[in-house]
Amino acid sequence: MKNTLRQITQSPKFMIGFCLILVLILTTLIYPLFSPGSPLEMIGLGTFFRPGTYVSVYDSVTTDKRYTINLTDAAEKRVASKLASEDKEVMKTWLLEFGIAEEEIDLEDTEALLDLWFNTYDESIRFDNMTTAVRKHVQRTDAKLDGLLEHQDIIVADSAADGSLVEGSLIKGNEYINVAEIANVRVLPLGTDNFGRDMLKEMISALGVSLMIGLIAGAIATFIGLALGLLSGYLGGVVDDIIMFVTNLFTVIPSFVLLILISFSIGQSDRGATTVAIVIGLTSWVWTTRSVRAQVTSLRNRDHVNLSKLSGHSLIRILVTDILPYIASYVIMAFILQICSGILAEAQLSMLGLGPKTTSVPTLGLMMFWAMAYTAHLNGAWWAYFPLVILIACISFSLNLMNTGLDQVFNPQLRD
Amino acid sequence: MKFWIRRTLAALVSGIVVFSFAACSNNSGQQAATEATETPATEAPPPAEATAEPEAEEPAVNEVLSEVPRNETLYFGGQQWGAINGWNPYSSTANNAMAIAGTVSRRLIVFETLYMYNLLDGSMIPLLADGQPVWNDARTELTVKINADAKWSDGTPVTADDVAYTYATHLKYETGVGVSNKDFIDTIEAPDASTVVIKAKLGEDGTAVNPYQLEDYINREYVIQKTWTETVEARNSDAEAFKNDPAEDVVFSGPYGPYYDDDQKVLYVRNEDYWGVALWGSLPAPKYIGHVMYADNGAQKAAFTAGDIDVNQQFISDVQNLWLQDGLPISTYIDEAPYGICVTMPSAWYNMKSYGLDQVAVRKAIAFAIDYDAINQNAMTGQSPTFAQAPRSLMNPTAGEQAMYDQAAVADLQWVGNDIEGAIALLDEAGIVDSDGDGWREFDGKKLTYNAVCPNGWSDWQAAMEIVAAAGEKIGIEITTYFPEWDVYQTVFTDGEQTEYDIFMYAGDGTGPTYPWARVRQRFSSEFIGLKNNWTGNYGGYKNDRADEIIAAIPKETDEAKLKELYTEAVKIYLEEVPSFALMYRPEVFHAVNETVWTGYPEEGDGKNIPPTDLTDGYGIAGLYNLKLVN
Repeated sequence: MKNTLRQITQSPKFMIGFCLILVLILTTLIYPLFSPGSPLEMIGLGTFFRPGTYVSVYDSVTTDKRYTINLTDAAEKRVASKLASEDKEVMKTWLLEFGIAEEEIDLEDTEALLDLWFNTYDESIRFDNMTTAVRKHVQRTDAKLDGLLEHQDIIVADSAADGSLVEGSLIKGNEYINVAEIANVRVLPLGTDNFGRDMLKEMISALGVSLMIGLIAGAIATFIGLALGLLSGYLGGVVDDIIMFVTNLFTVIPSFVLLILISFSIGQSDRGATTVAIVIGLTSWVWTTRSVRAQVTSLRNRDHVNLSKLSGHSLIRILVTDILPYIASYVIMAFILQICSGILAEAQLSMLGLGPKTTSVPTLGLMMFWAMAYTAHLNGAWWAYFPLVILIACISFSLNLMNTGLDQVFNPQLRD
Repeated sequence: MKFWIRRTLAALVSGIVVFSFAACSNNSGQQAATEATETPATEAPPPAEATAEPEAEEPAVNEVLSEVPRNETLYFGGQQWGAINGWNPYSSTANNAMAIAGTVSRRLIVFETLYMYNLLDGSMIPLLADGQPVWNDARTELTVKINADAKWSDGTPVTADDVAYTYATHLKYETGVGVSNKDFIDTIEAPDASTVVIKAKLGEDGTAVNPYQLEDYINREYVIQKTWTETVEARNSDAEAFKNDPAEDVVFSGPYGPYYDDDQKVLYVRNEDYWGVALWGSLPAPKYIGHVMYADNGAQKAAFTAGDIDVNQQFISDVQNLWLQDGLPISTYIDEAPYGICVTMPSAWYNMKSYGLDQVAVRKAIAFAIDYDAINQNAMTGQSPTFAQAPRSLMNPTAGEQAMYDQAAVADLQWVGNDIEGAIALLDEAGIVDSDGDGWREFDGKKLTYNAVCPNGWSDWQAAMEIVAAAGEKIGIEITTYFPEWDVYQTVFTDGEQTEYDIFMYAGDGTGPTYPWARVRQRFSSEFIGLKNNWTGNYGGYKNDRADEIIAAIPKETDEAKLKELYTEAVKIYLEEVPSFALMYRPEVFHAVNETVWTGYPEEGDGKNIPPTDLTDGYGIAGLYNLKLVN
C-alpha cells in the first residue's frame, strides 16, 4: 500500500491533475469565507456588467478627502474618452453635408474641430440623404461634447428643506480621490451575468455544485457498474447472460438520449441538482459493467479464489476480499472518468434546458444556458461564458490527467 | 483496459473541444444557428428545432434569394416561422404570418381591412372604407362607406357585398373570427354597393351587448372577395376542407401578392396595379417583400446585424449596444429606453385552484415581494417603462389609457415591488406562518409550494419567472420555475380545469378600440371560468361579482365621468384582490430597423404619426410609402 502510494505520488501526471482539482475544490470551500452572501443575489440592475472595479459615485462625490494632482495629459485624456475617432467621422459627415469645405475640417486638431462644430451644428437640421442611424449618432455625439472644452468646475447641489437647490461642494478638474478611502467599492473580477449576479462568486459556487453532481453521478454509476460487473463476471452462466443482455441493451441506446428522455419526463419542478446527478449516474454505468466483468472473468479461476471457494467463504466475502482488491486500481480510474463525464453531462443537459431547476443552486451548465439565452456570445460579453468553458475544460483536464497518471502506475504495459 | 480508457479519453477530449468551440463562436450566423437555444420571445409560436445542417443551408438560401435584387426588396425578420401552408384568409392554420396575422393592428400587406388602427393615438384611418364610421343614435348599428377607388387584384371593385359576405362566411364555417364575434355582431348587411351596416347583437334591455366589438371588427378583420369565396366554397364540400383550402388562386386587395415560397423563405411581389395609389399617392417603395426562415433567435440576430434583415420583430437584449458599442446602422423607434411603444402587459396569473392561492394575502405577498426593477433591467434589459413611471393599474402606459382612471384614488394601492417587509407582515397578519420550522410557510398546516411557469425559449419571460421565484424564497413561499415547450404550455394554461400550473405567464392583450375595457374583462370576467379552450382571459378562474357588473356596465356607459368611476373601481379591485399582476410592459411587436439598404423608417418625433408596427401592421404600413434607398 505504502509502495503504491509512493508510486502514485511520483507520477507527475497524476500529481498535476490532483493538485489542479485540489485547488478547485479548495477554492469552492475557501472563497465563500472571503465573500459571504448568496451567490444568487441579483446585485446589479442590468445585464452583463463588464469585469472591473465599481466605485460608488455617491461616496466619491461626497468624500471630504480629495487630493490635487496636476497631470498634463488629463484634459486630453478626458476629451479622448468622450470623442472616439468614429465620433469625429460622423461629425465630419455632418459638416460636409452642411456645406463646410473638406479642407476646413481637421480631425487631428480636436480643439479647432470642436470650435467649428459648436459654431455650425444645429440639431433641427435634417439632411434628406442622411440615415436615421447617422443622424442619431451625431445627436448623441453632440450631447457628449457639451462643456467638454470649458474647464469649468462642477457644482454639486444639495436639496434644501424647502425643495430648492443649494450650492454644495465644488469639484475641480484636477481633484482626485483614493479608491482605498471610499466606503463602497465592489470588485467584480468577472463582471455580472444577465441577472446582475456576481459572476465569479456564482461560478465558484456552481463549481462546487457541479463537482458534487459529478461525484454523486460517478459514485452511482461506478457502484452499479461494479456490482453488476462483479456478479456477472464471477457467477457466469445464466446470471451473466441476463446481466450482459441488459447491459448490451443499454449499450446500443445512446446514454445521452436516455438521459434527455428521463430528465424530460421527470419534469422541471422535481429536478433538483441531486435528482439530475442520480439520473446521470443511472444512465452511465454500462461501460464500467462491461469492463469490470471482463476483468473478473479472468480473475475468477485464480488459485486464491478457488481456495476461498473451497474454504466455504460467502459470495460477498469472495468478491470483496479476493477479487475487488485486484481490480481496485481499475475501479478508481473508472470512477474518476465517471465523475468527469457526470459534470459534462450536467452541463450539456442544462444547456438544453433540461438541467436542475434553476432557483435553488447555480451549476456551470445553467450559467451557460442563461448566457446563451441572453446571447452573450453575440454581445461580446465573453466573461459570461468563456470562464465557464475554461473551468469545465480544467476539471476534465485534471481528472483525465489523474487517470492517465494512475494508468501508467498500475498498467504494466505502460510502465517505463 | 488501455483501449477502453483511450477511447473514453478521446471521446471526452473531442467532447470538450466541440463544447468549447460551440461556446466560443462569436458573431457567426452559421454557428449561432446550431447553438443558440433561445427561441423568439414573442407571441409567435417558437420555431421548430434546428435540425438543418447550416453549412448546407446557408449557400442554398443565398442562391435562391439572389433571384430578387436586394435593392428592390425589403426583408423582414421574426414574423414567419416555418413554411407557409397557403393563402386562405379563412384558415387558422395557414401559418402565413406576413399575409394573415396581427391583432387589431392587422397585417395589411396582402389583405386589407376597412380601417387601419393607429396605436399611437387610437385613431382609425380609413383604408377600404371612406370616412369615419357612423353610429345610429341607439348605438346598435354602425354604418361604414366603402372607398370607391378600392379594387381587387383581379380589377373588380371592392363592394359592401364583399364585406357582408365575408362575415356571413365566417359565421357559416365557424372560423375563429366567426366564433369570437357571433355574440356581439348579429349581421353585416349591404343596403347598396357602397354602404355597409353592421348590426350589433342586442341584450335583453334592447341595447347592444358590446358596441366596442363592432369598432374592433372594422379594424381587425380582413375583407375578402365574395366571388373568390364562392369559388372556394364550390370546390370544397365541407367546412374543414373549406378552411384548409391552400387558396393558391387567392384574390386580394392589398399592395403585395404571392411571389415565391418554400421552407426557407417567402417572397411577396408588389401589385403594380394596386388601387391604393389613389389613397397613398404612390406605390409602396420596395418591389418585393421577403422573409427568410431562421432557425432561432441567434441566427436571426446575426442576420439582422449583418444587414440581411431590414425590419426586425425580435426581442434583442440590450438592443442599444448594437449602435452604441458596435456602431451598426440600426435604430429603434425611440432612441432611448424603452425603445418602443409598450402597450401590452405580460402578467403572472394565479391559479385559484392551487392550494393557498385562493387567499388574498398569499397572492398579494408574492406580488409585493417581486423585484420589478430587476425584471425591467435584467430580464427586459430596460425595454419597458418601470412601475414607478407607469404605476400599476389595468391600463397600459399610453397617455390615452392612463387618463381613463383616477390615479390619485388608487395611489396608495399601487405597489412598486421589492417590498419584502410588507409582504412578510401581510402573511404574518393573515396567520400564514412557518409553524414547523422548515423555513417555508404553511397555510392550515400545509406547506405553500408553487411552480412559476412560462414557455421555454421565451428568454425574457423565463428570466422574469426566475425573479418571481427568487422573491418567493425571501418571504418563505417555495416557488420553483418550470419552462415547458410552447406546444404543451398553450394547451395547459388555456384549460380552465388545469391544476398543473400555479403561477403562469401570459400577455394576450394589446390595444384597440375595445381597450381598456377588454383588459378589464380579460382580468376578471367569470364567463371564462372552467372553459376548455380559453384564450380570452381570466385563465386562473377568479370570481368577483362586482367585477362582472362593471364589465357589463362599461360598454353601455357613455358618460365619461361615470366611465372613469367604473374604471377606477375596477382598478381598485384589481389592486386589492390581485387575481393576476403585470410583470412588465412590452411592445405589441418589437420594431428595430437596419439602414444598410433602406432608410426613411418611422421614428418618434418625425411628425408622421406612423406607429412602430414593423411597417406591416395597422397604420404602420404607411411607413412602406416613405422608404427610400440609402445612397
